[in-house]
Amino acid sequence: MAEKFHTELNNLRADTLEMAHLGRFMLRTAVDALIRQDAELAASVVAQKEEIHQMEVRLEEHCYHLIALNQPMAKDMRVIVCTLKVITASLRIGRYGKVIANIVKEISDKPHIANLMSIPHMADLVIDMVDDAVAAYESDNLRLIDDFSSRDDTIDALRHSIFREGISYMMEDPKNISRCTHYIMVARYLERCADHACKIAENVQYMETGERVEIH
Amino acid sequence: MSESAIITTNNVNLWYHEKQALQSVSIKIPRNRVTALIGPSGCGKSTLLRCFNRLNDLIDHVKCTGEITLDDENIYAPSTDVVTLRKKVGMVFQKPNPFPKSIYENVAYGPRVHGIRDKAELDRIVEQSLRHAAIWDEVKERLNDSALGLSGGQQQRLCIARTLAVEPEVILMDEPCSALDPIATAKIENLIERLKEDYTVIIVTHNMQQAARVSDYTGFMYLGRLIECGKTGQIFEHPKEELTENYITGRFG
Repeated sequence: MAEKFHTELNNLRADTLEMAHLGRFMLRTAVDALIRQDAELAASVVAQKEEIHQMEVRLEEHCYHLIALNQPMAKDMRVIVCTLKVITASLRIGRYGKVIANIVKEISDKPHIANLMSIPHMADLVIDMVDDAVAAYESDNLRLIDDFSSRDDTIDALRHSIFREGISYMMEDPKNISRCTHYIMVARYLERCADHACKIAENVQYMETGERVEIH
Repeated sequence: MSESAIITTNNVNLWYHEKQALQSVSIKIPRNRVTALIGPSGCGKSTLLRCFNRLNDLIDHVKCTGEITLDDENIYAPSTDVVTLRKKVGMVFQKPNPFPKSIYENVAYGPRVHGIRDKAELDRIVEQSLRHAAIWDEVKERLNDSALGLSGGQQQRLCIARTLAVEPEVILMDEPCSALDPIATAKIENLIERLKEDYTVIIVTHNMQQAARVSDYTGFMYLGRLIECGKTGQIFEHPKEELTENYITGRFG
């Protein structure tokens, strides 16, 4: 019976990775659509909303089922707890992708102000964090996430910098207000995605060692 | 374990003939707590349990070295009175084993052996013990009926009452629920929770969920050694030893 349970647990992790990759893909695609002002590409991200939601429901049910039927303990229990958190974080990351994609539709009619400021760079760093957090979940390799605290500090600093830069452009010309407000919101969504990557990292740490850490 | 220990073993080894069943076992059993011993069959957990009231003395060709103290007194010292020790350290076995006597006599037997003859005093002990074992309401109208007419779960609680009647300090339980259905098991588990207010309980169980539910501390044994012992939450959430991890997640045993 333990063998069957562990096979199911491995399947659950593989399916959760697939969902994490979808969430990451939605975010990356939305940022690409924003940079290129590609409304069609943005629409493809919005269309994936239902798919990732269905994955969340199915995977959470799988977790509950494994808990109810197997009463997992020790690392088995921690894997399921971590998986539930990865599912939630992946859904949120995908949904922020969808929200950014919705913004693309609103601002694709005119050129970007200041080449989107630092948003493309910030997005690259955030998506690297998501990649490393998910890879750590897949491979149990904690070295991928050991510098997350300082990487998260960088993301917070970038969000603040985009906020100040956006305010400057708004003060310069009120016609920039709508567009810069969207940029500030995108920076905020990217920062939240980095926070979700940190949540995944915290839970992978717990899954591996049983120790709770908080990444500030 | 930082709590005060009622039983302490120091480097205990035990052999049945040539076969070594316990190897350098050192454990502290905290007072008024439930300690569970888990491990695969033949790992020595029942042997260790039976060391605590010297029940292994009854088996031929058993040799035991090391030190076991109860209330800081070496229970293997030549001066130890084994009858007194077994009064202080009661035991409940896997299969309920009531005497083929009435319910009343089963509980009164121990106090009588220890010299209590007064009927009113015996009545009081019988009622109190049956109440503590959470079976009084079920048997109070039929104390003179044969104990063998009780259900398995009731017989097991009667055996616990019989143990309580001689006012032990420690109660050893060797797989006390393995012959019982889930409802009878739940009653025994609830009882264990209440017993620790007055007694120290050490339980051997194959059922890890049961160990997790009822105990405050858990010791994992493997091939005669105590691999790891700690708070039950820690053992089942994040054991320190890989062997413990592999056993409780069903990867062996």
